[in-house]
Amino acid sequence: MPNKIRKLPDSGDVQVPIGPQHPSLKEPESFLLTLRGEKITAASVRLGYNHRGIEKACEERTYIQDLYLIERVCGICSHAHLTCFVQAVEEIAAIEVPKRAQYIRVVVGELERIHSHLLWLGVAGHEIGFDTLLMYSWRDREIVMDILADLAGNRVHYGVTTYGGVKRDITPEQIKDVLKAVDTLEERTKYYIELAKNEETIIKRLSGVGMLKHDDALRLGAVGPTARAGGVDRDTRRDDPYAAYPEMKFKVVIDDHADVYGRTLVRMGELMEAYSIIRQALTNMPEGVFRVRAPRRIPAGEATGRYEAPRGEDVHYVKSNGSDKPERVKIRAPTLANIQAVTHMLEDRYLADMPIVVAAIDPCFSCTDRLIGIKDLRTDKKQTLDWDNLRLSGIKWYQKRGVDFSRLNEKLKRSFK
Amino acid sequence: MTEEQIKQQIEHQFGYLKDAVVIKRARRLWLDVPMDKFEEVFVYLTEAMPLVRLLTITGMDEGTTFGIIYHLAAESGIILNLRIHIPRENPAIQSMTSKFSCADIYEREIKDLLGIQVLGLPEGRRYPLTDNWPDGEYPLRKDWKGLSTEKKGGTLNAQ
Amino acid sequence: MDILQQLFNIFIFPGLLFLFVFALAAEFIDRRLYARFQNRMGPPWFQPLADFIKLLAKEDIIPQEADVATFKLMPVLALTATVTSFFYIPLWNEQALFSFNGDIIVVLYLLTIPTLTYFLGGWYSRSVYSMIGAVRSLTQLFAYEVPLFMSILASALLAGTWSLSGMAVFYNDHPWYWLFNLIGFATALVALLGKLEKVPFDIPEAETEIVAGSFTEYSGRMLALFRLSINVEMVVGASLLAAVFLPFSLDGNLVLGFAIYLFKVISIVAFIALARSIFARLRLDQMINLCWRFFAPIGFLQVLINLAIKGFFLK
Repeated sequence: MPNKIRKLPDSGDVQVPIGPQHPSLKEPESFLLTLRGEKITAASVRLGYNHRGIEKACEERTYIQDLYLIERVCGICSHAHLTCFVQAVEEIAAIEVPKRAQYIRVVVGELERIHSHLLWLGVAGHEIGFDTLLMYSWRDREIVMDILADLAGNRVHYGVTTYGGVKRDITPEQIKDVLKAVDTLEERTKYYIELAKNEETIIKRLSGVGMLKHDDALRLGAVGPTARAGGVDRDTRRDDPYAAYPEMKFKVVIDDHADVYGRTLVRMGELMEAYSIIRQALTNMPEGVFRVRAPRRIPAGEATGRYEAPRGEDVHYVKSNGSDKPERVKIRAPTLANIQAVTHMLEDRYLADMPIVVAAIDPCFSCTDRLIGIKDLRTDKKQTLDWDNLRLSGIKWYQKRGVDFSRLNEKLKRSFK
Repeated sequence: MTEEQIKQQIEHQFGYLKDAVVIKRARRLWLDVPMDKFEEVFVYLTEAMPLVRLLTITGMDEGTTFGIIYHLAAESGIILNLRIHIPRENPAIQSMTSKFSCADIYEREIKDLLGIQVLGLPEGRRYPLTDNWPDGEYPLRKDWKGLSTEKKGGTLNAQ
Repeated sequence: MDILQQLFNIFIFPGLLFLFVFALAAEFIDRRLYARFQNRMGPPWFQPLADFIKLLAKEDIIPQEADVATFKLMPVLALTATVTSFFYIPLWNEQALFSFNGDIIVVLYLLTIPTLTYFLGGWYSRSVYSMIGAVRSLTQLFAYEVPLFMSILASALLAGTWSLSGMAVFYNDHPWYWLFNLIGFATALVALLGKLEKVPFDIPEAETEIVAGSFTEYSGRMLALFRLSINVEMVVGASLLAAVFLPFSLDGNLVLGFAIYLFKVISIVAFIALARSIFARLRLDQMINLCWRFFAPIGFLQVLINLAIKGFFLK
């Protein structure tokens, strides 16, 4: 009963369901807010609506198939998850990754960070009713999407990383294109930073909202920009370096606002750092092979890998049993670590702050929910519907109501002969 | 604190953990502890040692036992993977939410997907399975083959 | 003949039909400018009409728990109130279609009715988002209404009449006196944003928080009527501000007066589009603070200024 008003006995409090389907949520998750007037007195969250069973599915597929599956954990930080997983597998199999491949991984990883942060900026603008910012930042995001499509062949699931290196090399012409695009983006980002620092309504809506102070961030295990905006000096790229990051010069952007405004500044600062990292990686890129052969069967062993995704630290645990399929894959997406801070941040805030507080951790619920469940459950009878049956029953349902495409299908078939 | 120092300190503190700490590579330590000693080791690692973060908790089916790995991390980038094995009959672990409030959701996941009881877990909504998920179906167990489905060529098809 | 003339005035020009076309045109201008400010193409000119017709063709869904009579009545009431108030506003000459001494109060109250219908319609939808939106509409009403009334009444005070047509006559006789009301004009523009529930004051229908506020449960014809009444309200509100604060060229020839009237209204619509594209949505508490602490005193200041001017210059 998502839309029914529920009054709690003996108080003026009202429970408002936000989700599983709601315009402020880009993916299905359910928040239940208890309101007194416009104030939120309690908040709870129910996750799991995007559960697709990826961890279990990984166990039943070969490592090569898992490459494609792991990438689809998330539609935005696909490179982050894939690289994190591949690095763990490479650690088990003791594969020495060529330097050039590591540089390419860094370039794509930072481009992904740019694309993710620009996307976030737009979403944040939309959540506070500032759609112009959404239109502008998403227009600029197209630049980086085009670059990624040029480098990888795809806009979203790049599929660049593979066991033992990367799938594609970067040509000198591409390097030139990327550098040019980065120059444009840097200029635009400076404009956005200027905007965030001067625009009155933005500051009004963002500062003091969604406070997560240093100690709370540590206690609740927050990661990424959410924690860094609270002054937590933590970045996997520096603390637990991987790929070519040990050779990159960059600073970890920290802010002490501890609110959504601080998180905006951190993300904008990270954009500027990402441009500098990409320039360093492209100009210092070593020559050589970009891939070495990796075995189909990974020797028995286990590894825990970490990766600084745009949203924060991503943790993968992989255990192999010596066959061509992994024994266990465990994924801890950054949103899962941050979501527990959200209920804390919502308390004693206004209903109007709810969308931006949730958006400020840059939630990615499909990363967070991975595992089981495709089956349709009908009470006690365990009836299942697979895709074909579902399709058939849909066609039949409409045929009963007079919508029948079978004659049209026949006609089309004849005309193609 | 370096990896070697951590290893030495643990072995010094707990005599029965001699040579149990394995340094697999830089910043990666592995440690298996017996189930009954788990709590004192855990408390010591997180309070007396710089391993102040709980990254996540992994649960897995090992055949005769379940393995639970607590991935602990220090701010310096060192990860210590603390593992216990619990019996398959009436499996249960102690909740660590009093020490790490972030453990809550990781423990719920283990409870839902592996059917391991978590003692002392606060009340709350389940995660990640649906509310009408049947009892006794634990998807991450190796002997679970789906709900009245069978495996065919890597994909799940209806019977 | 007189009755025919009046029926023509009410239903065709400058009544319902003209207002309908003009409202859709205003929506188009608003949306197009908004899009261009945001670096988008924007909709084609017939999009508002297409949207309207599409909504008319859709199914009306009434929530089970809603109060059916109120739920159905509110859109009609909103549209009627806004259209009625239009007849009292002088548009391109000194004389409105109807006028009497005191019609300025009637117009202001008729323009309050739509907000009340949003409240009642939302409240009786019995959906949680509608109810929150309804309460927000009403809360916001108390914030912007005071500055709006202050600034408009200040202008009437200077003219020394309570009739809009009388004001038009006065400002026509004293061509440069409208310049005294510029502060009031700015305040009224901001209050108009609140009245029309546009960014930065679109709090009652904040999409990302409460879906569509009062209109969450509305669909089909009733939603079409509501949307039309919002557009009509935009035109009427802009016409009111134009008549009160920009009262020039009201006695020239009709064609020129009509062109200038269109220009005035479109400029105000363009201002709304600009405000929509350069501001973020405020929070309810911030909006109320802003109105009471800042715009209400400014409106009051305008009243004082006009009283002083009246005392010293217009003996």
